[in-house]
Amino acid sequence: MDPLVLTKREDLRLIDLFNQEQVATAPGILNLCLTCGTCAGGCPATGVDGWDMRKAVRAVLLGLEQELIDSKFPWVCTLCGRCEHACPMHIDLVRLIRTARWLRPRDKVPGVLHKGVEMCLKTGNNVGIPQEDFLFLMEDVGAELAEELPGFSVPIDKKGAKFLLTINSKEPFGEPEDMKFWWKILSAANESWTTTSDNWEGVNWGLFTGDDEAMKEVVRRIVENYKKLECEYLLLPE
Amino acid sequence: MSIHDLLKMYIETGRIKVDKSAHPHLTTYHDPCNYGRKSEMVFGHGYFEEPRWITQQCVEEFVDMYPNRANNHCCGAGGGAWASPYAEERIFYGRIKAKQIKDTGAKLLIAPCHNCRDQIMKSLRKEYDMMDVEVKYLWELVADSLILEPREGEPESEE
Repeated sequence: MDPLVLTKREDLRLIDLFNQEQVATAPGILNLCLTCGTCAGGCPATGVDGWDMRKAVRAVLLGLEQELIDSKFPWVCTLCGRCEHACPMHIDLVRLIRTARWLRPRDKVPGVLHKGVEMCLKTGNNVGIPQEDFLFLMEDVGAELAEELPGFSVPIDKKGAKFLLTINSKEPFGEPEDMKFWWKILSAANESWTTTSDNWEGVNWGLFTGDDEAMKEVVRRIVENYKKLECEYLLLPE
Repeated sequence: MSIHDLLKMYIETGRIKVDKSAHPHLTTYHDPCNYGRKSEMVFGHGYFEEPRWITQQCVEEFVDMYPNRANNHCCGAGGGAWASPYAEERIFYGRIKAKQIKDTGAKLLIAPCHNCRDQIMKSLRKEYDMMDVEVKYLWELVADSLILEPREGEPESEE
């Protein structure tokens, strides 16, 4: 499978990007903002580096979007949506911030987020666990649980299973014991389920970096497995 | 299918049995933004009541934080902030969550989200002096409350 090319990014302005997609749904448009400050009033990130949500909206409307994009505010904001929930004009504030994140050049995305996205597109999981190690771990932790639940083993690529279960890569990476919670429940319920030998990553960091293309590709791979294995439900315990 | 619908269905239909006495302490529940508020905004249904119901099947005493449900405060680690380098800002952000938790007096906190659980368990507890509060995933709570019975038609284990 060819990896996605992430470097082809058009030169877009935040306000154009935001408004252009909003033509059909007028209430989303930024200039409906009444400057009431309800958004900033209930936000724990208000004040960090002198920014807040109201100021972010004003900055974009006044053509100062680059200052917002270059600031750390869009990354300190947790996209929790409390501002948008409270906004009397129903402005898509979460999308504004997420778009500001996307307008950062990819090599300027803070921390490991974009590296995780690239790793996931390349290897099928955010932390780059090789398939051989993953399968060994599943067998190993499965055998541990079998001491408690006789006969237990982790079903992998089981065709026709009712549930396809994704895994948060931090668990096989650092907290493998925590995978047992779900396994125990599914086993107690005598459920038909499976996980997969590749593209089992349930964490989609494209959501956080504003990267829709990467996000779609990661989901597409999960759905591909789901169709191939003829499962009935997808279960992403994320 | 949502994990909340699944766990609720298992308990309601008796496919799994849970025992409250495994968790006798006062327990509270953290609404993750994605399962609650954002699910409501995007899909038209926020998972507020289901996880509370599941939690209450597994604990003796339950108390809500204030504010809660759609007005709940984010833990401070959402949107990728847990993996970002701005730790100081993330901890500052979490001050409101920490106060909300402390104000309940609960000794067990349930979080059905990896980010929220990590932020509260590994960071806020330490930073805001509440190491006496235990933190569990929702499915961890259910798994730890399970009453395991040998299935019908299967030989009992030799133990």
